[in-house]
Amino acid sequence: MSDALHHLQKNALKPKYTGARVTRKEDARLLTGASRYLDDIEIPGMYEIAFVRSQRSAARICAIHLDAAQATPGVKRILTAKECPCFFGSAEDVANGVVQPALARDVVRYVGEPIVAIIAETRYAAEDAVERVQIDYEPLQPVLAMRESLLDQPRRVHEKTPNRMFHSEYQTSGFEDAFQAAPHHLVEVFQTHRQTGVPLETRGLAATIDPGSGRLTIYATHQSPHGLRGDMAVALGIEENELRVIVPEVGGAFGIKAHAYPEYLVVAYAALKYKLPVKWISDRTECLLTDVHARDDIHEVEVAFEGNGRILAIRDHLRADAGAYSAFPFCGAIGETVLASRVLTGPYTIPHLATTIDCTYSNKTPLGAYRGVWGPIASFVQEGIVDRVARALHLDPVEVRRVNMIPDELFPYTNAAGQAYDRGSYRASLEKALEMLNYDELRAQQKTLRDHGKYIGIGISAFVEPTAMAQSEAGSVPYESATIRIEPNGSVTAAFGLGPSGQGHETTMAQLIADELGVDLKDIVVLHGDTDSAPFGGGTGGSRSGPIGGGAALKAGRAMKEKLQTLASHLLEAAKEDVQLEDGKAFVAGVPTRNFSIRELAQVAYTDVLRLPEDFPVGLEVVARYQPKRPVTFSNGTHIAVVEVDAQTGMIEVLDYVVVNDCGRLINPLIVEGQIQGGVAQGLGSAYLEELRYDDQGQVTTTTLADYLLPVATEVPRMRIAHLETPSSGEGGFKGMGEGSLIASPAAFANAVSDALEPFAFMVSALPVTPDQILAAIDRSRDSMA
Amino acid sequence: MKTIQATQSITLNINGQTHSLDVEPRFLLSDVLRHKLGLTGTHVGCEHGVCGACTVLVDGKPERSCLVFAIQAEGSSVETIEGLSADGMTRLQRAFQEHHALQCGFCTPAFLLTATALLKQTKDPTEQDIREAISGNICRCTGYQFIVDAILAAAKGEEA
Repeated sequence: MSDALHHLQKNALKPKYTGARVTRKEDARLLTGASRYLDDIEIPGMYEIAFVRSQRSAARICAIHLDAAQATPGVKRILTAKECPCFFGSAEDVANGVVQPALARDVVRYVGEPIVAIIAETRYAAEDAVERVQIDYEPLQPVLAMRESLLDQPRRVHEKTPNRMFHSEYQTSGFEDAFQAAPHHLVEVFQTHRQTGVPLETRGLAATIDPGSGRLTIYATHQSPHGLRGDMAVALGIEENELRVIVPEVGGAFGIKAHAYPEYLVVAYAALKYKLPVKWISDRTECLLTDVHARDDIHEVEVAFEGNGRILAIRDHLRADAGAYSAFPFCGAIGETVLASRVLTGPYTIPHLATTIDCTYSNKTPLGAYRGVWGPIASFVQEGIVDRVARALHLDPVEVRRVNMIPDELFPYTNAAGQAYDRGSYRASLEKALEMLNYDELRAQQKTLRDHGKYIGIGISAFVEPTAMAQSEAGSVPYESATIRIEPNGSVTAAFGLGPSGQGHETTMAQLIADELGVDLKDIVVLHGDTDSAPFGGGTGGSRSGPIGGGAALKAGRAMKEKLQTLASHLLEAAKEDVQLEDGKAFVAGVPTRNFSIRELAQVAYTDVLRLPEDFPVGLEVVARYQPKRPVTFSNGTHIAVVEVDAQTGMIEVLDYVVVNDCGRLINPLIVEGQIQGGVAQGLGSAYLEELRYDDQGQVTTTTLADYLLPVATEVPRMRIAHLETPSSGEGGFKGMGEGSLIASPAAFANAVSDALEPFAFMVSALPVTPDQILAAIDRSRDSMA
Repeated sequence: MKTIQATQSITLNINGQTHSLDVEPRFLLSDVLRHKLGLTGTHVGCEHGVCGACTVLVDGKPERSCLVFAIQAEGSSVETIEGLSADGMTRLQRAFQEHHALQCGFCTPAFLLTATALLKQTKDPTEQDIREAISGNICRCTGYQFIVDAILAAAKGEEA
């Protein structure tokens, strides 16, 4: 082996940054409070907006009285549907003949729907005026119950459109025979109640006409800058080059900021039409009412299985409540059900599946994306089924998982819904998690403790996580883009169309580029969030930024590396393949003293251009786009939760939590672990705490964070995390991982409670499971025994 | 931040500096810090006093600035994240970076101020002490584990 080749391979095997626990480039500004989020934006002469929102879930608007509001000091202008005739129409709504007006016209269809926008000198003044607007309503009967609303009962939400806004059916060939022939069957109804992402930064928008260019500039807290630009341009009737979207620091997103909302149109329209610089930031109550809700699903499941625990067939009728409109630009109810139906068999070789999907309009808030979307629901159903089979047959839940889990030799594996799984560490992750937990010993302890009235439960959740999907909520395009520019002084500027909200892309993308170019991490600046500087991209969502954005970073890095090698080989009079990049220098392999620094190369490329090789373009800039060949890559892993349920109070305490995660090649384990820990905490909220409750009139009764409970530090357990790495076939071998921890954890937490309460014959079938449900179940069980 | 209603003149001591201001009596301390004084490192997450994102130190104690009128803060000494960072990052801030104790960063200034108060009061806190001290601050990104690790490390004087 030549020295050069040896050096190359050594380099390739041991990148300096990729795979290392690198601390983040973003942190200094965030830790010192120097960063700027949306509400920190101040535009000279800026006005603020507050909305009058519907207090009814279903009513006709008879009259809007604005006189008192108009007379309120500080009020500049008031908009109703007449003054702001904009609307959003998602593909799903338009197919049903429905569009959502930015401000409700004649009918209100959910509590919180915006009706009037008050533009005033301060938010205080705007809210003063909001209180003085009076709206006369004629009540309509609210449509709230999923099963009835699908039958157009008590009435249609949109007069001319049936409530059933989506329906589909799927069945594997030979399903009925296989189902009927099975020796054992069980039925269950699983339900997940409404939850939402609750990023700590509420959503909002600011807009102004840029005095220099005359273009509309929008500041938005959003996951997809280019997606928002396209959608807003269409809705406002302007060209995309007349609109600049700037996304400042985003304080969490979790899917809810992948959507565009009616208020955004009002704010932008006010700037465009009335030439007013304006800002609107939602308050927390507005968020809980009108940020897209999620997880409003019912699964009626029938399962056929054998005496050894082998599951042969699952039949599932999936229903979801879309709310009054499809969220824009995509419908959460359809996303949750359709995609759940494709991964219902999880990591198991269940050969037969039959699914029916029905989604309905209702007088509730539109259903949209929350981290994991379909995954947390599908996992809850799938892992709930496995544990029910185990309990029915008096088998250990681990044994049922071992009997059904896809063996390594079957990859690539096509599941019963036709989804093609790439290779993973399915069995290995389960065994590793059991070993970390010391499972057999814990089972023995559980038995002893039960005899003393202590109810410990072990909840296992083996999961698949479809990532980097060609089309996911934020990723309306199946690729990502990266530009890299080496500046005249040799420093590196990269730009992406991603829309990070805390995932650390400025660090991870820089790690990949630094390793390609052989430069120091600190010499790279990563830009994003400005449609004027970022290349067109799909944005962040659906666990796509690492695998697809990272792929674009690698491709762009390689293209730039090739340019530097070409230039250096010319100047060094060496063969191009002998030129290596390391420590900010290009040198001849094996002769590091024969070198040019990147800075010197940049100077030649921009200034001393007569020294450039023939045909070498002046400057050092590349743009690369990466579209994975596979339409999806599957991450996998196993979570196990250990809980204690207090049979006196119904309270749940998490005693231990183990995660084995496989997201392919790791870019930064520190960041991956942060994502996992945050997702498990959200999973705990999903399983035990969080619920957007509606009363029988369609009023949301959980309108503060004192009612909608988020997990706090004393509730979230310390987690033990191990990584397995089964590379994908895509660029870099990366798989996505932003959602897997929230996909897996609600099922683990739910199963742990079911396991703890086995003596009371209780299994969790609805999330969240709360102390009152647990106490009721224990009472029922004691009554039946007595 | 403009004023619309009748105002009152107040003097606030923020991060060791004295500010004379005209404010409406109803203005929240959080709004005055952010929009009158430009101290936007204090973040507003719920305005109900639940999430803790707007926490500042009032006379050294963590307080929710969304539950305090600015006029009530007269005569107190208020410290914000900008004050904590006046001489560069503290050991606690460096520990947060080293342990990846932040993601989106929105709740972070409030956690830093809460933990600063804890470490002044309790030199050698246990993990449980820390979890209880920060249980009034919500973080939606991290799951708290790395925040706890960072505070533990800073308490032990481990340098990043």
